[in-house]
Parts: sequence; structure tokens; C-alpha cells
Amino acid sequence: MKKVLYILLFAVIASSALAQESMMSWQYSMGFGTGDLHDFIKPASFRGVTFNYNKFIKPGVAVGFEIGWNTFYEQKDYATYTSGNFDYSGKQWRYSNQVPLLFNAGYYMSPDEQLTPFVGFGIGTIFSERRTDMSQYIFTLDAWHFALKPELGVLYNTDGASLSLSSKYYYGFKTGDLPAEGFFTINVGLVIKR
Amino acid sequence: MRNKTLSFVAIFCGLLLWGCYPDGPANTEDLDVVITHHNPDYNFVAKGTYAMPDKIVKITGNLQEGDAPVYIPDVTATQILARIDNNMLALGWQKVALNANPKPDLLLTPASWETTTVYYYYDYWYWWYGGYYPYWGYYPPVSYSSYTTGTLLMTLIDPLDVGANGIPIREWTGAINGILTGSYAAGRVNPLIDQAFEQSSYLKTN
Repeated sequence: MKKVLYILLFAVIASSALAQESMMSWQYSMGFGTGDLHDFIKPASFRGVTFNYNKFIKPGVAVGFEIGWNTFYEQKDYATYTSGNFDYSGKQWRYSNQVPLLFNAGYYMSPDEQLTPFVGFGIGTIFSERRTDMSQYIFTLDAWHFALKPELGVLYNTDGASLSLSSKYYYGFKTGDLPAEGFFTINVGLVIKR
Repeated sequence: MRNKTLSFVAIFCGLLLWGCYPDGPANTEDLDVVITHHNPDYNFVAKGTYAMPDKIVKITGNLQEGDAPVYIPDVTATQILARIDNNMLALGWQKVALNANPKPDLLLTPASWETTTVYYYYDYWYWWYGGYYPYWGYYPPVSYSSYTTGTLLMTLIDPLDVGANGIPIREWTGAINGILTGSYAAGRVNPLIDQAFEQSSYLKTN
């Protein structure tokens, strides 16, 4: 997953040169798997980060992009698994890396007030890697999902910067060997306005 | 200045996240695994006797080129074979000699092998700049490590159930695999043998 980190860093540094009337935010993200992702890994993820860049195209309306990374992890106890005429017993270590790359649009209500509620919508892709380690064997599936993301949040504005609190739901449609995958996130972060 | 600060924050958070990436197994025993496979078309219930050698062959060398078979030490084989017999008995099977009359329904053939994996790393650009700085030495420093895994394979065949290639079909295969840690540890191996039979309830007969 080194490449993910490189992409994240590149996105942040590159955005430093970007335009005016814009917002950059860096958020810590907690993830909660739903549906098939939750069946695969039950615990919530406390390893997540998101970077957003948004530019206002008219008062209260911004468009931009988002890149993130959430890692879900679970160590399964010793158990027996069946696949066809095979039965396997052992411990498993399960990982799911979710990397959303989305175009965003957001509507910011009362942007001049100290509290600014906002709603957003994202469309793009999620790179998903699902890995199971059992003994010395590693089983990996990965796919690029077509993805949608609704978002709801609030900004707490101070001079020049804001704190953000938001909730997002990422949904990646079934593709390749992977089923549809979805997860909620709760995000807290810092927003720099220019 | 603000952007520079944000970039530093980003790098710091990224490295922090990277450092938090979850680890895998912590103990050697965590990597032990039991795998079984069976022929769903075979009726084990209709059978009742089996024969098994009193040695466990070690898969090494090449028998087809005339190499003599190699066996694991008797003191270890005796314990493993006794454990296998106990499990077969518990499932209702009767052990008979290979030349018994009537002949055994099934043959149980245990085998084992070891695999050593060596992994190493060296600075592969050394060929280019290594010689330019003679005090570094001609060869790059190499770091390496290795581990050895052991596998016990148990196969049940019916001598009368032969495939199209003339070779008996494997009606059941049980394999236990793990990282070797030196001397034979019955307390670690026995539960794995038991597990192979426990997850194969279709072997129950009588």
C-alpha cells in the first residue's frame, strides 16, 4: 500500500499550488463496514485518512476531489472454513484496504456563520483490496469499484481555518471478483480556506 | 507558509497511519494449518478396514531415478502413526495387515516433507557504484533470513477404485502444515492430526 501513501502525499503537495476561494481539508476517518464488507471484517476501522480539495464556483457551492484510505482489519480465531470439497482449519488475518478517488460537489449553508452545515455528493471509484492471510498462504482480491458517496457535515469556522465534522457513506458497486462494498465513515479534520 | 504546514501535517499523519498498519501472526503456532479434501462420490460408510505402513516416508530425492526411500525417525513416526490409528479407531475403522484376507478396504499412506524458504535483500544498484568506492568492498552487504515448514500428508486410497490414468483415486487427503521449530513437539502436532479427522466427519463408518 505504499503507492497509496505516495498518492495521498502527492495530492496534498500538488494542491498547494491550486487556486483561490478554495478549501483544503485533511481528515482523520473512522470506518464502519456494512453488508458484505462487514461480513468479511466485523470490527470498525480506526485507521483512515481523507484529503479533500474543493473550489467554490459560486457562493455556497463548491466542487473538487477527494482521496482517502481506510484499512479494515480483523484477526479471526481458530476456525474451520469450507470451500467445495476442501476444509481448512487455522487462524486467519483479514485486511481490506479501501481507497476512494472521487469528484465532489457540496452545498454550504450560511458559509459566513461560525457554524456551516453542508451536504455533499461524490462520484468516482474506490480501489478495494481484500486480503486473507492463513498460515503462509495469502489470498488477495482487488478491484476498482464504480462508487457513489453522500456526505453530511458541519464546519466550525475560525479565522482562516475551520474544523470539520462529517459523516460519509461510500458505496462501491459489484465488480470483478468483489461484491458490492459499502462503509460509513465519521471524519474529523482541519480545513484551510484560501 | 500555511500550505507548507499542511503538507508537513499530511506527511506526519501519513507516516503515523503507515506505522499503525495492522500486524499479522505473532507466534509460530498461529501459522499451523490443517487442510482436508475428500471425494464426495465415495461411500466411506460401506467400508470398514484399512492398512497402514509402520513408517512415514519422507518425500525427498527421486525414487524414479533409483534413490532409496528415506523415512522420518522411528521414534517420531511411532507417535504420529499411533495418533492416526486412534482417530481412525474412533471413527469406527478396523486396522488390518496389508496381506490380510480379506484385503483391507482402504490404504492409509502417511508421508512428510520439509521446505526451506530463504529470502534475502541486497542493494541491487551496487553493481554500478559499489566498485567506485573500494572501501565499501566489492560485494554488497546482504541481509537474509529463512524458515522451514513441515508437512504431514495422510492419504486414503481404495486399491480397487482406479482413475482413467490407472492410478488409485485419492478418496481422502489430510495435510497439516506449520513452521518447524526444532524437535518434534507432540503437544503441537497431535491436536492438528486430531483436527484433520474431526473436520472429516464423513469418514465415520460402521
